[in-house]
Amino acid sequence: MNTISSRTTASGMTSLRSIPSLDRLGSVLALLIGVALLAAPFITYRANRIVAGEGRMLADALPSKPAVAVIAVVLAIAFCAAFVRKPLVRLGAAALGLAAILPAAGWSASFVTPDGNAFARVSPSTGFWLLALAFALLAADALARLRLGPWARLLALAVAAGAVALLLASGAWDDLSLLKEYANRADSFWREARRHLWLALGSMAAACLVGLPLGILGHRIRAMRIAVLQGLTIVQTIPSIALFGILIAPLGFLAAQVPLAAALGIHGIGAAPAFIALFLYSLLPVVANTVTGLDQVPAAVIDAARGMGLSRRQRLVQVELPLAFPVILAGIRIALVQNLGLATIAALIGGGGFGTFVFQGIGQTAIDLVLLGAIPTVALSFAAAIVLDAIIDLTQRGAHDRH
Amino acid sequence: MIDIEHLTKRYGATTVVDDVSFRVEEGTVAVVVGTSGAGKSTLLRMINRLVEPSAGRVLIDGKDTMTIPEDELRHRIGYVIQGYGLFPHRTVAQNIATVPRLLGWDRRRIAARVEELLDLFQLDAAEFATKFPHQLSGGQQQRVGVARALAAKPAVLLMDEPFGALDPVIRGKAQDDLRAIQKRLGTTIMLVTHDMNEAFHLGDRIAVMDRARLLQYASPADILTHPAEAFVEELVGTTERPFRLLSLTTVQDALEPGSAEGQPVPLSASLRDALSQLIWLGRQALPVTDSSGAPVGRISVDRILRHGRADP
Repeated sequence: MNTISSRTTASGMTSLRSIPSLDRLGSVLALLIGVALLAAPFITYRANRIVAGEGRMLADALPSKPAVAVIAVVLAIAFCAAFVRKPLVRLGAAALGLAAILPAAGWSASFVTPDGNAFARVSPSTGFWLLALAFALLAADALARLRLGPWARLLALAVAAGAVALLLASGAWDDLSLLKEYANRADSFWREARRHLWLALGSMAAACLVGLPLGILGHRIRAMRIAVLQGLTIVQTIPSIALFGILIAPLGFLAAQVPLAAALGIHGIGAAPAFIALFLYSLLPVVANTVTGLDQVPAAVIDAARGMGLSRRQRLVQVELPLAFPVILAGIRIALVQNLGLATIAALIGGGGFGTFVFQGIGQTAIDLVLLGAIPTVALSFAAAIVLDAIIDLTQRGAHDRH
Repeated sequence: MIDIEHLTKRYGATTVVDDVSFRVEEGTVAVVVGTSGAGKSTLLRMINRLVEPSAGRVLIDGKDTMTIPEDELRHRIGYVIQGYGLFPHRTVAQNIATVPRLLGWDRRRIAARVEELLDLFQLDAAEFATKFPHQLSGGQQQRVGVARALAAKPAVLLMDEPFGALDPVIRGKAQDDLRAIQKRLGTTIMLVTHDMNEAFHLGDRIAVMDRARLLQYASPADILTHPAEAFVEELVGTTERPFRLLSLTTVQDALEPGSAEGQPVPLSASLRDALSQLIWLGRQALPVTDSSGAPVGRISVDRILRHGRADP
């Protein structure tokens, strides 16, 4: 049905509009690409890591022939974004664009840096970021139009991750200041990465362990649901920094009074309050979605299950939880994506994580150091969202898929 | 066999089922009819203890249901509801296997039983066993719902408006199928409906309920000819009475010796269908044949009309 109707509309469109028509989003992206190319510097060159830099246009950032080639490719993609409608072609164009500008940024860094100068810093500038944004939007739009199934989306994510890994491993970016910052901190980067993941995933796992039973009880006992959900909503409205502050006193007291707590690493500041704060923030989505998911199990299904003699536990495990699972997973997705971002704040109270680089960078006005913390955080949240969305789709298959 | 003895359900000051007693004989269908809010469903749900009675008791094959643990009792009683309540995340085969699995049957026995039931309900096992409920039509869902209820060979089948969600054409066929399967398996059925036609079509006995009370429990013919109260008469529909009566009697009961011209009527047809054919063909009498097609006598308009009178 779907394929037939979409085919007829597609052929209807081509017959109606024989001249190439403008794609709305595409023409905005083409405009963005034009601005990025003609009016914004592609890279910033600085004599050392903290002085103000000077911008270089793409034409000046590379040797002339490659510069012309990259500009030509980018212009061709702008044209494609505006006029070509086939999603696969648009996806290919976006991939080609990223494959052109990402290595170009690395190459321009080695091209612009004077030989043997270890202090000079080259970082991607407005033009590069706008181009990257435009291509990413083009790719996201094309992927959305392709309506990929969950497995295909996971594959696309794996391909993208592989491409980034390849780019980094190839050394093409080694002269960019972002990777110079990384090279100086390679050990601490991976330590903070582990800490970041532990904070985000561990607190979410704890929230699931506590939130699921709480949600199940809230589903069954009305008075408790209202109390729990309202309490958690209030917690959610406390700014994270304030919550850390609130936790310092009781945890400090605990560490001082109970030697075991101190031995376990529980202190007024550090990872413990950060973990607890993230745990509290993730409880609301987990509990609320558990309650909602269980509530929307059809009454007839529950009645039939009772009538056939499924005990309370059998009903919960065999019927209610499986049917509520996609909704519960959606709650876990919200909690995880939120946690991966919020864990950055943990660095403020010595909790570690990618936030360490962000706050160091802010302190030193070294924007590349900020990016070293921010980019992995965004990438992780993005990947977590895609993976969990795919899992949600897969779990819904049995119940709702109509193929 | 179900014995209902002085069964009562009160919610606070409201009595929903008021001192109801009757017996459903082994292998028969009892249909409970009444307007909505009459207490039919509550009565039914007290039999498998989905609702706990305030007073009175229920005996199944002579055993008080209160002496059997709740879940165990329900494993022995089939239960079909209006929306069927099929498990959307499980296949047709898994749905049907629900109670056998709870009872711990081994896999081979479960698979054989599922296949047997799909066959009984005219669903091709190869095609339907692995489908999910949302991939089925309403009629197919209904059949899977009944098959699931019968899976563990229950002593008793309870049905709460089991045809309520079907359109009229499919509903008639589903009722015929249920009747045929019930006759073949000899299952004792208690069915709740607000549809009078359904009650007369399926019931060996009909229980009429109104405002929590049981007004009459009798055979369909008795309900028509000897209504216990004005409400029963009203519910049955006074203009429908003779036709309902004729549809309860077969040609066999009004057979006359002799012969007649025209298209023969089968011996098993209802008098209502025979009369319809006589009117349509403009004849006073038609020949009657048995199942093998051999002529056994004739059926006449006069004789049929006599069967439709209040006092034959």
